[in-house]
Amino acid sequence: MALSKEVYKEFEDVVGEENICDDPAIMPAYFATEFAAVILPKDTAKVQAIVKLCNKHKLKFRAISTGWTGVFPKNTILLDLRRMNRIIEINEKNMYAVVEPYVISAELQAELFKRGLNFCIKGAGSNCSAMLRGHGHLDQTTSADDRNHLAIEWVTPEGEIVRLGSLGSSDEWFCGDGPGPSLRAIISSAVPPGVTPGVFTKAAIKLYHWPGPSKLPVVGKSPRYTLREIPANMMARYYSFPSVEKMWQAELKIGESEIAYELMGFNASMVASNITTCNEEEEEVFRRISQEVQGPGFFVIIAGNSPEDFAYKKKVLEKIVSDADGKSLKSVEDPEIEGILLCQCVRISASIRETFRAGGAFNSIPIMGQRDLTIKWAIGAGEAKKPLIKKGLIVDDGGAFFGWGVEQGHLGKTEIFCRFDPLNPEAKKAVEEWRKEQCARAVNERYFADLLMAKIDESGPSLSNYHLWWRKIVKELDPNSVSPEGGPLV
Amino acid sequence: MIAHEKLSDIVGAANVSCERTTLDEYSRDMSFVNTVRPACVVKPRNAADIKQLVKLANEILTPLVPVSSGSPHFRGDTVPSIGGAVIVDLSKMKRIIKVDRPRRVAIVEPGVTFGELIPTAEKEGLRLNMPLLPRKSKAVIGSLLEREPVIMPKYQWDISDPLACLEVIFGTGDEFRTGQAAGPGTVEEQWAVGGVQKAPYGPGIASWHRLIQGAQGTMGIVTWASMRCEILPSLEEPFVVGSSNPNTLLELAYWLIRLRMVNECFILNNTNLAAIFAKKWPDDYQDIKAALPAWTLFYTAAGYEYFPEERVSAYVKNISDITQRLGVEAAKAVGGVSANEILKAVQRPSEEPYWKLRYKGGCEDIFFLTINDKLGVLIEAMNDLAIKFGYPVIDMGVYIQPIVQGTGCHCEFNLFYDPGNPGELNRVRKLSISAVKALMAKGAFFSRPYGESARMILNRDAATVAVLKKFKKIFDPNNVMNPGKVCF
Repeated sequence: MALSKEVYKEFEDVVGEENICDDPAIMPAYFATEFAAVILPKDTAKVQAIVKLCNKHKLKFRAISTGWTGVFPKNTILLDLRRMNRIIEINEKNMYAVVEPYVISAELQAELFKRGLNFCIKGAGSNCSAMLRGHGHLDQTTSADDRNHLAIEWVTPEGEIVRLGSLGSSDEWFCGDGPGPSLRAIISSAVPPGVTPGVFTKAAIKLYHWPGPSKLPVVGKSPRYTLREIPANMMARYYSFPSVEKMWQAELKIGESEIAYELMGFNASMVASNITTCNEEEEEVFRRISQEVQGPGFFVIIAGNSPEDFAYKKKVLEKIVSDADGKSLKSVEDPEIEGILLCQCVRISASIRETFRAGGAFNSIPIMGQRDLTIKWAIGAGEAKKPLIKKGLIVDDGGAFFGWGVEQGHLGKTEIFCRFDPLNPEAKKAVEEWRKEQCARAVNERYFADLLMAKIDESGPSLSNYHLWWRKIVKELDPNSVSPEGGPLV
Repeated sequence: MIAHEKLSDIVGAANVSCERTTLDEYSRDMSFVNTVRPACVVKPRNAADIKQLVKLANEILTPLVPVSSGSPHFRGDTVPSIGGAVIVDLSKMKRIIKVDRPRRVAIVEPGVTFGELIPTAEKEGLRLNMPLLPRKSKAVIGSLLEREPVIMPKYQWDISDPLACLEVIFGTGDEFRTGQAAGPGTVEEQWAVGGVQKAPYGPGIASWHRLIQGAQGTMGIVTWASMRCEILPSLEEPFVVGSSNPNTLLELAYWLIRLRMVNECFILNNTNLAAIFAKKWPDDYQDIKAALPAWTLFYTAAGYEYFPEERVSAYVKNISDITQRLGVEAAKAVGGVSANEILKAVQRPSEEPYWKLRYKGGCEDIFFLTINDKLGVLIEAMNDLAIKFGYPVIDMGVYIQPIVQGTGCHCEFNLFYDPGNPGELNRVRKLSISAVKALMAKGAFFSRPYGESARMILNRDAATVAVLKKFKKIFDPNNVMNPGKVCF
């Protein structure tokens, strides 16, 4: 349904004719849906004006930042926030940065490195919005999920501007909670600006110390970059263990000892993906590494703030690994391979190779929360992958899963996926069934309830009926139902 | 008016009191809020009792005021704002439900105090990230729900820490569990498979615990909560650094926290440090105070399971590089107060009498959050106001607590006064109200609004209040939960 000329003109008056489009030949370039219009606001005031107009005309809208994924009902007005791309502030003294939605992580990280700082880049990759909620390789030291946001500027579904926490009271970005109960309770969509109704227009995010150089000494050519040298007081290794139990014990101790800058529970297949440049090479390297590793493992980056700190952390790491009968993967001790992994895992450019390259598509079950519990479940989910591998329906990764500790092991993330050919309907169906079965088992055996793909009404009853409360909240916030649900946005 | 019999049916006759002397205890506290006598005090034994109480309150539209800590109370949040209220005193719910060493988590009922939980946690090799010297009667859950600042900012990843999950009976009477505790299954079923109630976010995209924190019991009553714990160090080396300039110490604290080298880390002025460590009053207090520098930063370097001496030694060396650059010196004692003595003290609740009451018997706290850059200006403003109101600046305690891994700090002015002296009491009351107003004007963020100043604080952020009121309507549609508090 195209907008009437009069309504289109009202939106055009807000953003100018060059920043609105309803051309049916152009709009599908965004997503495979029929949008009513695509609008590109420049700032919060424009977003507010658009949202008010949407309410006036009862038009559904949805905003995207970097726009990798998303679900959009037909006739939605798409707010493409790409013009809102400013780093507003980097506050070194109070360890936060304020960004607009289209600031990408790579851009912010480059600026932060110059100041000896870093932040949590989500696993979706460094080209995605810096203000995302989510998990990533650096969670061990940079936290994750909804725990990195401070003050947020939010345009509600009715078009009111709410400035959370200290921003609303004292015009400072350092705190997102209060006065009184915290609105961060709901301003925490799976991936802002995602399923929380409304639009996030600015967010302050927590920063963390970066002990590495202001610029990584990257050499090589795409797709094979490495580091000219391993930065001082840094080291990357991959360790494998005789059993999941031994691996978990080592991971637990590393978390408790606070020694790892990054602990990423790659499996051998993911290591192979990351250090190779094509599928043929990956297959060969995976075969070789699979022979070399003794079982499950993880990748670790140690980074010291000083030579003494580095020496101490290295010594503890070696002790923990040795106590758990761990074995270092020789390939990763090669400085070139160490450099590739260190670079990719700090810059968070690893995920695409791991997920899309070999099969063309992947279907994943990510679980946030308690690491040992989710590992326990993932062992079964991995076993359930093996028949699919045997039938040739998914890429052979040995039935592996992966994950990592968050906040020095206080919390965790575990994930398992199947890579498959999206043009093979049998493979697609088999993977979907695997997913469904494993998620059902997770609920039945009391591990967790899938929230990524399941509809809120399906997961809600097993989770304190949260869906009923959430619906009430949404109804209060969005009385005109102009801000639709529709899964996470990246 | 709520019927005594109905309450007795729910909690048992022994747990209901309408005695005037009992009611008087709950009708006022150490703050300046109006005295309002409740109609009744009930002491529920479990979550089922609470659920029934909330349902009953909705039926007969009677206010409930939840109270977890024992007296004395200081913020006015446990004093009814309107008449006819029932105090729901949770002090009988005292179970330490679980302490889990590998997952670093403890689960407690609302009546459990710090003094009760600490030894149990220590037996398992765990410790709590706790507020500075809470009073002995302070309930752990009360502190968690109030978002009180904690003394180890390195382990405070989020301002909601160390709260993990909780079970709440909303104002509607519905039971709800937050975070990982939400399900699937019962809590016991989760334990059976190896789950604990640790991850705070969810279920769904919301972080429901954040709505309960800071609400002063206006959304519902918490029946248990889990909290993240930290590992008990095998070696601790505490230090003190004195200075006449708080900004220098703040700069040092910034680097110590940024580089994650220290556990406990906070700044006290000489009045507060003396108030905490004086044994004989008033001579001892005056002597200690006179010997102390104006400001003292306290921090601890710690080692854990592996090579603790090497860890501490590396940190001490790295810290000394920073102190030299800033022109200050780390020491093992300051003005006769040893760093070890401070460490020992702050890992426990306050000895009796509560340290804030030792000097004059009363204490009014003015506290807010701010960024490091503004702190100096705000301290100066407070000093000016104290002078204006005739309150001796040298008698004013100051506590500066870096928060959330260095993203800001909690600043607290402690105005000690004699509650038996009407002139002094009145002066402090006026100073307190004026100070909140003046400090807000200079950018102080009062994230935890209590008592007389709450309305003034919340009025500055009408947009937030409008959204909060929508939530209140959902979770407590009849406004039976502690009406009159926050903005409700």
